[in-house]
Amino acid sequence: MTGAGASPGVPPAAARAGTSSGPVMVVGYGNSLRSDDGVGPAVAARLAGDPRMAGVVIRSEHQLTPELAADASGASLLVLVDAGTDEAPGEVSVRRLEPVIDGAGTAWTHHLDPSALVGLARELWGSAPPVVLVSIGPASLEVGEGLSEIVAPAVTRAADLVATVVEAHRRA
Amino acid sequence: MSKTITIDPVTRIEGHSKITIQLDDRGEVVDAHFHVTQFRGFERIVQGRPVHEMPAIMARICGICPVSHLVASAKAVDDIMAVEPTPTGADLRRIINLGQIVQSNALSFFHLSSPDLLFGFDADPAIRNIVGVARKNPQLARDGIELRKWGQQIIEWLGGKRIHPTGIVPGGVAFQLTAEVRDRILAGVPEAIAATERAIAWFKQDMIRWEEEASTFGNFRTAFMGLVDRQGHVDHYGGWLRVIDADGNFLADKVDPKDFNDYIGEAVEPWSYLKTTYWKPMGYPDGIYRVGPLARLNVADRCGTPRADEELEKFRWRVGRVAGSSFHYHYARLIDTLHSIEKIEQLLNGPEILSKHTRSVAGINRNEGIGVSEAPRGTLMHHYKVDDNGLVEWANLVIATGHNNAAMNRAVLQVARKHVKGDRLEEPMLNRVEAVIRCYDPCLSCSTHALGQMALKIQLLAPDGKVLGELAR
Repeated sequence: MTGAGASPGVPPAAARAGTSSGPVMVVGYGNSLRSDDGVGPAVAARLAGDPRMAGVVIRSEHQLTPELAADASGASLLVLVDAGTDEAPGEVSVRRLEPVIDGAGTAWTHHLDPSALVGLARELWGSAPPVVLVSIGPASLEVGEGLSEIVAPAVTRAADLVATVVEAHRRA
Repeated sequence: MSKTITIDPVTRIEGHSKITIQLDDRGEVVDAHFHVTQFRGFERIVQGRPVHEMPAIMARICGICPVSHLVASAKAVDDIMAVEPTPTGADLRRIINLGQIVQSNALSFFHLSSPDLLFGFDADPAIRNIVGVARKNPQLARDGIELRKWGQQIIEWLGGKRIHPTGIVPGGVAFQLTAEVRDRILAGVPEAIAATERAIAWFKQDMIRWEEEASTFGNFRTAFMGLVDRQGHVDHYGGWLRVIDADGNFLADKVDPKDFNDYIGEAVEPWSYLKTTYWKPMGYPDGIYRVGPLARLNVADRCGTPRADEELEKFRWRVGRVAGSSFHYHYARLIDTLHSIEKIEQLLNGPEILSKHTRSVAGINRNEGIGVSEAPRGTLMHHYKVDDNGLVEWANLVIATGHNNAAMNRAVLQVARKHVKGDRLEEPMLNRVEAVIRCYDPCLSCSTHALGQMALKIQLLAPDGKVLGELAR
C-alpha cells in the first residue's frame, strides 16, 4: 500500500498535534482470508494507484490497532473502509463517526472499533481527525480468498465514493 | 464434597485456554491445571511440502510473533542446506528478530499487563484496561503504542509487512538494507529508549506496592534456560544454550542448540493440547524450567549493552541474582526491550550492514536440520527431517510456551491456594489467576501451532459434573 511505512520512527507527539494541515488517510481493513471481509483491503488496493488519491496515505490493515491511532491523530481526514453487517450484500454506505473512548464492556488489546480509534487519538495525542466510514455489505464471511460475485463490483463503487469524500474534503 | 473451579477461557493472552481448580472436601485447593483447548497441527500440515517453503508456512503459526518462527525455521533449513548465512544476512535477521521482540514485549507489558499494574488486581474491569491506562497515565499508554509501532515498522521496513513478513529466507535474507531505511530506523532509537526507560522508572517506583504479591505470584524454585553468546551475554538469535538452577549453578552451558534433544524431553498430558517440556536429566515432571525474558536475564552474565546492563544491575539488586517470582517477568521484559533497542542500534551501525551479500545459496545437503532462536516468550526450536528431494517428512516444534507450561501450572496452583477460599467465585481471585498466567505472556497460537481472543468463564463443578456456580466476563 502506498504510504505504508512512510511515517518516521517515533516522532514527538507534539509534532503531530493539529490535524488541519495533515494528510488525508484512507484505511481499508478486514481479513482477506474470510471472503468478503477482505473488501476493505480490496478497496485500498484499488485506490493505491488512483491518480485521484495523490498525496493521500492509503493503508491496508487486518484490523484497527492502537498503533494506528498515533498516525490517525496527525491526519486531516480519516476514511475507513470495512465490511459492514448493517448493509445488504453489495450495498455501499457512508457515514460520519464521532470519537468515543469508553473502556466499559471492552478489554480491547489488539484492535479497536472505528470510534474508539479516533477517541484514543484524541485522548493521547490531543487531536482526532473527522472520520468517515465507508461500509460494504458482505455476502459471505466464510473462510476463503476472493470476494463474492455480489460484493466484487462494489469495490469500484466504494473506491469512487472514497474519492468523492476526499475531493469534497479538499474543497472544503 | 470435592469441587472443581473452571476459568474458561482465560483473557488477555494469545489464544484459547481455560483453568480448572480442584477443591477438596474442605474447600481447600488441591490441584490446578492450565488447559490449552485448541489444536492446529502445523507439524502434520507441512509434511510433503518443499523445505524451502517452511519459513513462510511456519510464520503463519502466529500473527504476533511470525518473525520468531521465520528465524527458527530459516535456521533449520540452513542446517539442512549445511550453509551459513552471510554475516550481513545474519545481522539483518537479528535486527528483524529484535524488532519483533520490542513490539511483542510492548504489547505484553503496556497493552495486556499495565492495566493490572496501574489499577491493581482488585480494580473494576471497566477501568482496568488500556482505555483506563490512557486516561490515568497517558504517557504510559503513548509510550506503549509508539514503542510497539516502532518495532512493527522495523519488521515492515525490512520484511515487507508488519505481519507475516517474507524477507527471511534459507541462507540469509532476501533483501539488501538501504541507507535510507537504516537511518529511518535509527532515527527512532532515542525515543524508543526514552519510552522504555520511562516505563522502567514507573515500574520501579511502584515495586514496593507489589512486594507481597510477588512473593506468592508464581514464586518457586525452577531451572531457567536461554541462549547466550560466547561472552555470556544475552543472545536472541544464536550462541549457546545455557541452563541454570534456582541458585544460579550451571546445569548445562555451551550446549550447541542443535543438540537440544539430548537435554529436553516433551510430555503430553490428556488435559491439554499444549505439550510440556522438561529437563531430561531431572525427568518429568520434576525437570521444570522457565524461558523468556526472566530466564534470559537469569541465565546471562550480562545483557551486553550499556543501558540494559545498568538496569540489569539494579534488577539483580532488587530481586536477587536469580529471580524466582514470575511477577518479575514484567520487569525483565522491559529490560529485555531496552537491550533489544540498543542492540538494534549497534547492528545498524555495523560496517557491513548495507552489504549486498545477504544470502548464501545451497541445495539439500542433509536430511535433518534444527534451528533455535529466542522468541519474545523464550527459546524456540524448529526441527525438520526431509527426503533427498527436500520434501518435509517430519517436523517438530518446541515452543516457548511449552517450555513454560509446567511452571505456569505451578504458578496457577500457588496463586489459587492463596486466593481461592471455599467454593466462592470472586473477581479478585479470577484476576490473579489470570494475571499470573499473563506474566509468562503465553502464546497459545504458537504453542498449539491458533489465533483468538478470550472472554472469561469460571465454573464450579461437583464431582458428578454438575455445575454448582458460574462467573462469566
